[in-house]
Amino acid sequence: MKKYAIIGPFILIIVWAVISRCQLVDAFFLPGPITTISKLLELIKSGVIIDDLVSTLGRVGLSFVIALIIGLPLGLILGMSEKIYRSVEFIIDFFRSTPATALFPLFLLIFGVTDKSKIAVAAFASTIIIIFNTAYGVMHAKKSRILAAKIMGANRAQIFYWILFWESLPQTFIGLRSAISLSLVIVIVTEMFIGTPFGLGKMINDSQIIYEISTMYAIILLVGAIGYLLNLLLILIEGKTIHWRGR
Amino acid sequence: MDTIITVKNLKKSFKDTEVFKDFSIDFLRGKITAIFGPNGSGKSTLLDILAGIVPKDGGEFEIKDFDSFTFSYIFQNYRDSLLPWRNNFKNVALPLQIQKKSNEEIEKKVTELQALFEFQFDWRRYPYELSGGQQQILAFMRALVTNPKVLFIDEPFSALDYENNLRLRKYLQKYFLKYKPTVLLVTHNIEEAVHLADKIIVFSQKPTKVVQIIENSLPCPRTLDSLKTEHFKLIKDSVLCAFQKSISI
Repeated sequence: MKKYAIIGPFILIIVWAVISRCQLVDAFFLPGPITTISKLLELIKSGVIIDDLVSTLGRVGLSFVIALIIGLPLGLILGMSEKIYRSVEFIIDFFRSTPATALFPLFLLIFGVTDKSKIAVAAFASTIIIIFNTAYGVMHAKKSRILAAKIMGANRAQIFYWILFWESLPQTFIGLRSAISLSLVIVIVTEMFIGTPFGLGKMINDSQIIYEISTMYAIILLVGAIGYLLNLLLILIEGKTIHWRGR
Repeated sequence: MDTIITVKNLKKSFKDTEVFKDFSIDFLRGKITAIFGPNGSGKSTLLDILAGIVPKDGGEFEIKDFDSFTFSYIFQNYRDSLLPWRNNFKNVALPLQIQKKSNEEIEKKVTELQALFEFQFDWRRYPYELSGGQQQILAFMRALVTNPKVLFIDEPFSALDYENNLRLRKYLQKYFLKYKPTVLLVTHNIEEAVHLADKIIVFSQKPTKVVQIIENSLPCPRTLDSLKTEHFKLIKDSVLCAFQKSISI
């Protein structure tokens, strides 16, 4: 299966090359893949984007960890009782459907124009996603397994940490993957529009303003690659943890 | 005789269908009772009500000295009740872990049971790596590891091929003779019922009535050769006659 994974990037680059070679879009506004990739390599080699890369990764990592610490236990608790989940379902679905970045002014008021507000808004949106998926994982646990444990005389706590927690894991990982991508997106957007000394989002915005279009696309390419790698990392962890998936 | 389970005037309906209407029956301690009857005759429902999974609408029932730690129920969909994130050993150990038994005790119990089942599992592997028959044996070991005083079994052999079916019956019989639990065995198969049970109760269609109770005097242990005897055939025939009555009622 792994060798098929190469097809996706291949298609993307071919389409991109064809568009730029046929000049369907002005080359100034959409440089070709070779120009862009060599620009990216140049940026990495010269080291000018290291600080930006580290800052952005730091923000994404921190917001994801915060979301995990808050979202996972909350999701598990809410999923335990359908009554409790239904009573807060509106809040979860409401914020799941609202663009978190639109709430940014509110976060600025609370956390000030600092890194904290960027991290907080990304963590907030990710937390909602993790809660939603984890709770669903718990609620859709196989009734036969819970029943079997009940018949054996298991108490609520035992059912929770021997059955429900494990049952929820596959769905939880779907949530984690969505959450880490969302964290990345929100961190980049806030860096672009709020400003920061360092950050890939700021670099995208800056190169846009000074018409450094190839730099802009180089960074966009890098962000996409980071998102892909973060997902890949979670898939690897998932594969190790949930060895029973689909069996 | 010592009665352990009593059911008196039980009532139960699902929507418009009346399953039990003033249904009464007793089960003896330390005996294996097979419940046999046409599809939808409330056999599984009776077990579910007694186990407290399905609420009754009326009447009374009692299992003397009931304790969930000495009670086991093997469901029809045994495969769904094994836990794929636990390895084979931990699956069998689960009921003992729930009872907060020490690791040494768990180890001892499982080894004891394994000797009886003459079955060599790779304990570090997972249930999904086993065949259907092996999974069924695992589910049985999990149910028996607590040495239950009362054991409910619902259609245990329906998913097994004949060879594994016979093998599992042999193990169960060995276990029953050694530990003498009270067993309620729901089955669709006359041969299974006559092979394992001390008594066979034939149910009618809904609303459920007891059509006939057949005492099975076939000596134990019952081997493959016992299945070929005239005595076995005689009992099997009387169950069949009762069944015939039950479907023409």
